[in-house]
Amino acid sequence: MAGLTRTAGAFAVTPHKISVCILLQIYAPSAQMSLPFPFSSVAQHNRLGLYLLSLTKSCDDIYEPKLEKLINQLREVGEEMDAWLTDHLTNRFSSLASPDDLLNFFNDMRGILGSLDSGVVQDDQIILDPNSNLGMFVRRCILAFNLLSFEGVCHLFSSIEDYCKEAHSSFAQFGAPNNNLESLIQYDQMDMENYAMDKPTEEIEFQKTASGIVPFHLHTPDSLMKATEGLLHNRKETSRTSKKDTEATPVARASSSTLEESLVDESLFLRTNLQIQGFLMEQADAIEIHGSSSSFSSSSIESFLDQLQKLAPELHRVHFLRYLNKLHSDDYFAALDNLLRYFDYSAGTEGFDLVPPSTGCSMYGRYEIGLLCLGMMHFRFGHPNLALEVLTEAVRVSQQLSNDTCLAYTLAAMSNLLSEMGIASTSGVLGSSYSPVTSTASSLSVQQRVYILLKESLRRADSLKLRRLVASNHLAMAKFELMHVQRPLLSFGPKASMRHKTCPVSVCKEIRLGAHLISDFSSESSTMTIDGSLSSAWLKDLQKPWGPPVISPDSGSRKSSTFFQLCDHLVSIPGSVSQLIGASYLLRATSWELYGSAPMARMNTLVYATLFGDSSSSSDAELAYLKLIQHLALYKGYKDAFAALKVAEEKFLTVSKSKVLLLKLQLLHERALHCGNLKLAQRICNELGGLASTAMGVDMELKVEASLREARTLLAAKQYSQAANVAHSLFCTCHKFNLQIEKASVLLLLAEIHKKSGNAVLGLPYALASISFCQSFNLDLLKASATLTLAELWLGLGSNHTKRALDLLHGAFPMILGHGGLELRARAYIFEANCYLSDPSSSVSTDSDTVLDSLRQASDELQALEYHELAAEASYLMAMVYDKLGRLDEREEAASLFKKHIIALENPQDVEQNMA
Amino acid sequence: MVSKDSCRNEIRAAIRQLTDRCLYSAAKWAGEQLVGIEQDPSNFTPANTRFQRGSSSIRRRFSTNESISTPLPSIGFSQAATPLPEEDEAIDGDFYLLAKSYFDCREYRRASHVLRDQVSKKSVFLRYYALYLAGEKRKEEEMIELEGPLGKSDAINRELVSLERDLSALRRTGAIDSFGLYLYGVVLKEKGNESLARASLVESVNSYPWNWSAWSELQSLCTSIEILNSLNLNNHWMKEFFLGNAYQELRMHTESLAKYEYLQGIFSFSNYIQAQTAKAQYSLREFDQVEIMFEELLRNDPYRVEDMDLYSNVLYAKEACAALSYLAHKVFSTDKYRPESCCIIGNYYSLKGQHEKAVMYFRRALKLNKKYLSAWTLMGHEYVEMKNTPAAIDAYRRAVDINPCDYRAWYGLGQAYEMMGMPFYALHYFRKSIFFLPNDSRLWIAMAKCYQTEQLYMLEEAIKCYKRAVNCTDTEGIALNQLAKLHQKLGRNEEAAFYFEKDLERMDAEGLEGPNMFEALVFLATHFKTHKKFEEAEVYCTRLLDYSGPEKEKAKSLLRGIRMAQTGFPSMDLEHFPI
Repeated sequence: MAGLTRTAGAFAVTPHKISVCILLQIYAPSAQMSLPFPFSSVAQHNRLGLYLLSLTKSCDDIYEPKLEKLINQLREVGEEMDAWLTDHLTNRFSSLASPDDLLNFFNDMRGILGSLDSGVVQDDQIILDPNSNLGMFVRRCILAFNLLSFEGVCHLFSSIEDYCKEAHSSFAQFGAPNNNLESLIQYDQMDMENYAMDKPTEEIEFQKTASGIVPFHLHTPDSLMKATEGLLHNRKETSRTSKKDTEATPVARASSSTLEESLVDESLFLRTNLQIQGFLMEQADAIEIHGSSSSFSSSSIESFLDQLQKLAPELHRVHFLRYLNKLHSDDYFAALDNLLRYFDYSAGTEGFDLVPPSTGCSMYGRYEIGLLCLGMMHFRFGHPNLALEVLTEAVRVSQQLSNDTCLAYTLAAMSNLLSEMGIASTSGVLGSSYSPVTSTASSLSVQQRVYILLKESLRRADSLKLRRLVASNHLAMAKFELMHVQRPLLSFGPKASMRHKTCPVSVCKEIRLGAHLISDFSSESSTMTIDGSLSSAWLKDLQKPWGPPVISPDSGSRKSSTFFQLCDHLVSIPGSVSQLIGASYLLRATSWELYGSAPMARMNTLVYATLFGDSSSSSDAELAYLKLIQHLALYKGYKDAFAALKVAEEKFLTVSKSKVLLLKLQLLHERALHCGNLKLAQRICNELGGLASTAMGVDMELKVEASLREARTLLAAKQYSQAANVAHSLFCTCHKFNLQIEKASVLLLLAEIHKKSGNAVLGLPYALASISFCQSFNLDLLKASATLTLAELWLGLGSNHTKRALDLLHGAFPMILGHGGLELRARAYIFEANCYLSDPSSSVSTDSDTVLDSLRQASDELQALEYHELAAEASYLMAMVYDKLGRLDEREEAASLFKKHIIALENPQDVEQNMA
Repeated sequence: MVSKDSCRNEIRAAIRQLTDRCLYSAAKWAGEQLVGIEQDPSNFTPANTRFQRGSSSIRRRFSTNESISTPLPSIGFSQAATPLPEEDEAIDGDFYLLAKSYFDCREYRRASHVLRDQVSKKSVFLRYYALYLAGEKRKEEEMIELEGPLGKSDAINRELVSLERDLSALRRTGAIDSFGLYLYGVVLKEKGNESLARASLVESVNSYPWNWSAWSELQSLCTSIEILNSLNLNNHWMKEFFLGNAYQELRMHTESLAKYEYLQGIFSFSNYIQAQTAKAQYSLREFDQVEIMFEELLRNDPYRVEDMDLYSNVLYAKEACAALSYLAHKVFSTDKYRPESCCIIGNYYSLKGQHEKAVMYFRRALKLNKKYLSAWTLMGHEYVEMKNTPAAIDAYRRAVDINPCDYRAWYGLGQAYEMMGMPFYALHYFRKSIFFLPNDSRLWIAMAKCYQTEQLYMLEEAIKCYKRAVNCTDTEGIALNQLAKLHQKLGRNEEAAFYFEKDLERMDAEGLEGPNMFEALVFLATHFKTHKKFEEAEVYCTRLLDYSGPEKEKAKSLLRGIRMAQTGFPSMDLEHFPI
């Protein structure tokens, strides 16, 4: 009720706004002169103007700043004339002795506004344009004051008194701050400062109660209480200034007796609606970027939201923020509750800049957005079926209300859901409701649906000029093209072209289209937040030179640095845009990984980590780190990888749904397998399986990974039939959930199992199938590895197939040596040596160098991997070759190496202990 | 059971003490109970009795006398009441008398100022109480003065801090009496310290049980049965009143009814108990009974406004337009600026179909009391009628946020979303409402309908819901019919037949007829025929023959078929020959 009738952005006069008005009077006095009195240069004058502009727009807090803070900022803006400015400000305030003076003050304010229609203004006259930002501000202030009732004026007057009193008491002492060093040290020791800085809002509560209870309940010294109080006022400032103030405040408080009894929170005024909205939006971005990582405590957000809700119960966006916060701290029930509450209250019309307000239908509200959010929430919490139901409803409702924007987003969300979650069949979910595809829907497979949804979403987003959605759709499309073979929808008839291959070119095209966003994002982003964040950045810059002197050694560079920083902000790209661009780099890295180019993958990941690392969401940044670590493990061995992992762990372990643990387990498993510590491997396998959710279709990637590793463990334990069973069932799962790429590696694994069990004939078809899968998905590296296995299988059939095996190997060699990891390369080398040795036609004595070379390479690389089994094989072969050549010393050396590896293989615990 | 006489004496003394401390609503409540006690006429002169019975005696055996709310008991009785605390001064101080008269004129700050140096417990309490009320008054004013652009600013009672400080000091020195403890509890509750507030209130009611205000505050702090059970309360008949009320608020209506029944043994003429009983019955949806009770209540106490909104709800549900109009006009003339009155008028307009006006009156009720739960819900209903769904949702959501256990508002939310074609979204709200009232068939049916919508078409779930509805004694008989139809639709004829039979039984028992009946009969007849249970089929067919219309023809043809089937196979063959 109230929410619907109340005018948004209503404006109330507050002491802070009066301060701004006073400053505006200085900025634009009605007198006629080219440069008003206190200013010595035009630049200075402009600087004050800029400062005032950003004061009215910045969105770095929900409360208006206190006089104290304002004076501090003025000191930096005003430079030489700071004393004059602050004096004028405080004098003006102290001249407001009665409510009548307020009336006069606002009458005077009219004078600084130019008349609306006059075009004849002398050049040297400074007059505020009534339609400019500052002019509007003055007009709103005057209007709001005129609307005040008698009680309102009284309240305003008494709050002005409080406003000045607080600042006065601290300000009076500012001149001689350093004579209380002792007390400062005392506070430092008690570490109250950190405490107060960490929990500012709790402190308010504490303070509220404290001001009454101190004499009874808490036997803390009075001055200490005041100290925390003082800290609170300055909590937003840089540490240096706040320290100074803290030091000053308690002294002042203590001396100025107990007239400070009035409630502190009375003087906290909320900023204007627009500023608060901007602040909330920034907070929302922050929640998204930091998730629930340790640097960003959800409880602090929670407490400021509580505060805000108490002060402005009709600001429903608070509920949405709380939902986001809960979502990121994995609190399902609270998230659901707050989401529903937000949409119940606001009907989806408050604060969403997703839809331009003109197209919104005010009568029905925009509950479809609620459905969309609910769907995405279920998706995040791993309820794919619920999410699908909700999104289907969202599609229906947005069609019904012809909200095309929401429809485009919903379709994108749906395709994302379908492609991420393992959903075996969607019949009955989509078919009945989504009319554009109803006719064909029933016969479509999941991927085809995803494709249609994506196309549809892309088309709508394109026509609605939703740049960000277009970009993310392009990326999704690229991902789709990467994973799926394009097949025509109607695949029958003589003309149906059956191109059973993925198309890397179109992947590349889509990724590039996605990255176009960077050149034209501006049309969609809301100007309010940009303005607001720019202003708050500007205000923050004010304080930078006050910080440690290392950054700005002298005042000259200080000016320029502010300037450049400002320029930097001016061209700054909204967080969501750079996030998307970053995602495109990550996707590039992933696709190169799949296509088998290690350097390209590594390069793209590095680009991402360096350029987009801080603006991206923590889960994306984590992914980049993990990719790099994986790369290290594959190409540099475990020692480096584990060192890097430690760094990543510190950074990301607190992120919800962190994948660091997963990677750690993977690496440990790999190493345990190589060392032959099968018990440990099995245990890690089980742990890995335990990480996955038990729900059907959720965490598919993890589940596949776990059973793949289980099969490999069994294979290493020589339990061939069991390993084959696991692999078979895994293949079935992959088939059911359309995980094509995984299928290829499972097939390869099956071939491997048969090879090891000595059934080379049985292994051949699997290897061939794997190769053909790899071919159609352009998985070059995997294909090379499959080719190697195929060659090994051929050789297993007998020495008469050596030639064929060698040919296969040599075909794959460029890929393997160029992009393969340590293990693959070593395997290839050993296999090559094996071929030569088993080839009856070639004799070792003639071509011993090639064989020995490759063996030496192999054993070097295996050293880094600690892969004892293969290393032993390499040494054995080397010993054999040396034996044949009659180089006995070297033979002994190789033999002892062989023995060492075998011993290590048989006693994995020792190695384990060494590692631990 | 306590004797009526001792009760009477206790209450009489309590009323005096409560009035001395200006706890008027508690005194009013006590007074109502006092005249609610059935008296033995032989003990009193008729005049005295009449005086005692006063206006609230139910059967009006005695002529009514309107003028009393605080009867004047003979002085001697206050000594007879054993557990009553003695007054600490025989004669009231002059300052106290002045302060009390200021208080009575609602000049609270003045009253508290007059008492600033008084030390008697009564004066001290009155001082703090006056201060508290002065703060409350100022708070209410400030709330309007300071209202910001985004709703209320946090106006607070500025006296709370000093009150809490002083009272806690008094409490530690032990210089606090039970009334002070009550006030301390109230202050703590406002400051958000609920557990301490409960402790203080429990202490207060244990030492002085006759202060109903303290009990009500305590009740408002008992938000769950666990909290209620954990309270350490002395046994006293006032505790029964408290429990009755608390059970009712916790939606344990039968337990609450039992308590009131027990209390009616002593306070057989208490209007309060009658109204509370009516409330409980209302929650159990015994509308006829409630209507009778309220009629009686109004006859005895014609200027009563409390709880009358409930009566208007009953009249609304029964669509008794004339009675509702009478009630509305009556409360309007009694006191038009009571939230209850506004609510009744709102109901009246709603029944008349003038929803805009109804909304206006509900709004007025809410202006008078922002936390008036039923007005939010009813306003939601009005907005639904006006097809303004966002406003309806907003209103319902406010009700839910005031009291999350309000199943009506949850149900309303569900309905609103279902209206907008979002059945899946609505399900969540229906689930919530059912959680709070699992024994109501209407809620289950609403949820089932939601599942049944063509968008969702989740028939299995719908069947489950209907089954629950049947178990909750579905009075409207929708569930059985729907169950049968759903099973029929899903091709489970055995189950369908089972439910059709049950539905038929129900209709027979209630003497109903209609299309449902035909449908059931036709289905059963054909079903039994196809399963070769000709006797049963014949029974249903002959029942169908009693009605006219196409069903009759259908029955005839069915019967013919049965006959032929019964006579044996040859006749079956005959059917295939062309005639």
